[in-house]
Amino acid sequence: MSRILADVSAFGKMYLRSRVGTFFALAFPIILILLFGAIFSSSGSPQVPLYVQNKDCHPDCTPASLAFVEALNNTTLITYQGIPENAIFQDYIRQHSINVALQIPSGFQETLVSAGSGNASAQVHVLLAGDQTQSSYGIAYSAVAGVANGFNLKIANATKVVDVAQTEFAVRHFSYIDLFLPGIIGFTVLTTPLFGMTSICAEYRTRRFFKLLATTKLSKAQWLAGKIVFHIVLLFVSLGLMVLTGIFVFKMQAVLTPMALVLVATGTLEFTSMGMALGIFVRDPETGAAIANAIGFPMMFLAGSFFPVDAMPSFLQTTARFLPLTYVNEGLRATMTFANDATALVDTLITLAFAIVFFIVAARGLSWKSK
Amino acid sequence: MGPRWSPRRGGNLTAEPVIDVRGLTKHYADIKAVDGISFEVEKGQMFALLGPNGAGKTTTVEILEGLRDPTSGEARVLGVDVRKGYRKIRNRVGVLPQDFEPFDRLKPREAVAYWAKLFDRTLTKEEVAGLIRTVGLADRADTLAMNLSGGEKRRLGIAMSLVGKPKLVFLDEPTTGLDPGARRELWGLIRQLKSEGTTILLTTHYLDEAEQLADDVAIMNHGKIVARGSPANLITQFGAGAVIVLAGAGDAGLQAVSQRGVDAELNGSDVWVRVPIASDMRGMLEKLAAIDTPVTEIYTKRASLEDVFLKVVGARMQEGVLAA
Repeated sequence: MSRILADVSAFGKMYLRSRVGTFFALAFPIILILLFGAIFSSSGSPQVPLYVQNKDCHPDCTPASLAFVEALNNTTLITYQGIPENAIFQDYIRQHSINVALQIPSGFQETLVSAGSGNASAQVHVLLAGDQTQSSYGIAYSAVAGVANGFNLKIANATKVVDVAQTEFAVRHFSYIDLFLPGIIGFTVLTTPLFGMTSICAEYRTRRFFKLLATTKLSKAQWLAGKIVFHIVLLFVSLGLMVLTGIFVFKMQAVLTPMALVLVATGTLEFTSMGMALGIFVRDPETGAAIANAIGFPMMFLAGSFFPVDAMPSFLQTTARFLPLTYVNEGLRATMTFANDATALVDTLITLAFAIVFFIVAARGLSWKSK
Repeated sequence: MGPRWSPRRGGNLTAEPVIDVRGLTKHYADIKAVDGISFEVEKGQMFALLGPNGAGKTTTVEILEGLRDPTSGEARVLGVDVRKGYRKIRNRVGVLPQDFEPFDRLKPREAVAYWAKLFDRTLTKEEVAGLIRTVGLADRADTLAMNLSGGEKRRLGIAMSLVGKPKLVFLDEPTTGLDPGARRELWGLIRQLKSEGTTILLTTHYLDEAEQLADDVAIMNHGKIVARGSPANLITQFGAGAVIVLAGAGDAGLQAVSQRGVDAELNGSDVWVRVPIASDMRGMLEKLAAIDTPVTEIYTKRASLEDVFLKVVGARMQEGVLAA
């Protein structure tokens, strides 16, 4: 035990003196929380800028066309931006790199009046132009279609039969940060030990520190245990800073539970061991960075750190089931956001199983000796 | 292996050697890195493995440090088979590996205390300071290792190798890459270690280092020991006595000496005349004094390990590389 503590103490001094590791473990997650929190937390959902050209002006715009634009603004899904009436619509879009734009044609009001007078063949097309593969187009389409439908109902003197009633399903009122922060904690539990350990293995091999350590009484398992203890302490500090940022800056409702601490410790054991297991294949710092990036980056996106796994295509959801980070993210959301410790316990046990496998592979596979 | 009869040491019943190597081999595919070597190192002795890069010195030392497994043969360190019981003797063996680098962001004081704990020893502040003073780093004890000079880093490495109060220390090319001043300072430290009774196995490709420091030298080449003995004995056996140097005599000098029936060789612009038997020195000097070829200086030079190396390996060595 004294060897492990000595190694934790010496490694801790070296780590904290390097500054780079400290930045990525402590400061970087806070920057991500502040950045994404500021982007997504203020209004609940993003607003899409919609560029509108109103051609129904002679020279003053007709009341009906202005009412259509106002109704769009009232949806809160879009922010109105004007296109000059005399501009060529397609050229203006191209020259200003506009994602999505709407053109209200000349004769818009006249057609509505005609339809209101009983002309069944009266029809007018508002033109929505943009890249249909982008999510902003879908949001703008929903807003425009909703407003157009409202106009149609009004002209037809129809009444709303089916309506949507809204209610909260949980006791607490969740905001974006309540779902996002556990993902960032998972992201930090992945990146700090995984990237750190592959880099350490590369440095220790190229600078022959492994050989030097092999001349002492410290065993590989003790060395690995030292790194795990250090990373758990470091990540608990990081976790505290993240939660405090969420609470004081974004009024986060999610709470730090004992189960979350257990899961963070288990996840740290898992990814520290995984980093050392990858160290078996690392020959130099360049290889170390390449291997850590190749495994870490896809995992952080596919395992639901930034987006819920449920929102992904089904084959990616299946892939996510095989990624160890998925269970850390889901367990943290379960316990911190939904107070569901039973689900979090299952996720913790799965994480522990992964951790044990990685620890055994690392302790057995990584050789300090020469062949 | 207990006490045994040793004819080499005058037929006395002696204690077991600190290192005992018998028929040791290490093969990689078609390369024989170590090819059936045998030697022993006695308690308190400074033993040098001398040879060019790739001779098999480090492979041999790493087998003896328990860092590599041999292909065949027997190697015992402090009475323990290196393949089996190394854990028992870890804290009695100090190691300064080849190209030693310290942990950049630890200070010497911290590094020594940390290293001691890895051998289950807790050093007091005074003990740490004493070790650092021993290796001459007292003024640099609180400087990050990354800011130490090359010589200071090696000194720190030696301090770390001594934390367990070892009976045996392996120094694998301890002065390679250091400037002459730093090398001589390290020699002083190594001599001090030996004077305290520590057994030392040193590897080096510096002939002068082996000659200055070692009690016993084994010259290695291509994985084999090609000569073995104390520097003085090796020089007597292979060094061909003394050399008379006619500095600046050039080709004309060589021709003039040869015309008098004396064997000589040209080394740069100097003419070397070997005198294998000391009693022939006066006669040879008189013979050479009669030559009227201009010279800048005439002096005699004792044979050295360099001559021995040239004789047994067949090539000169420069910074660990054999000259063609």
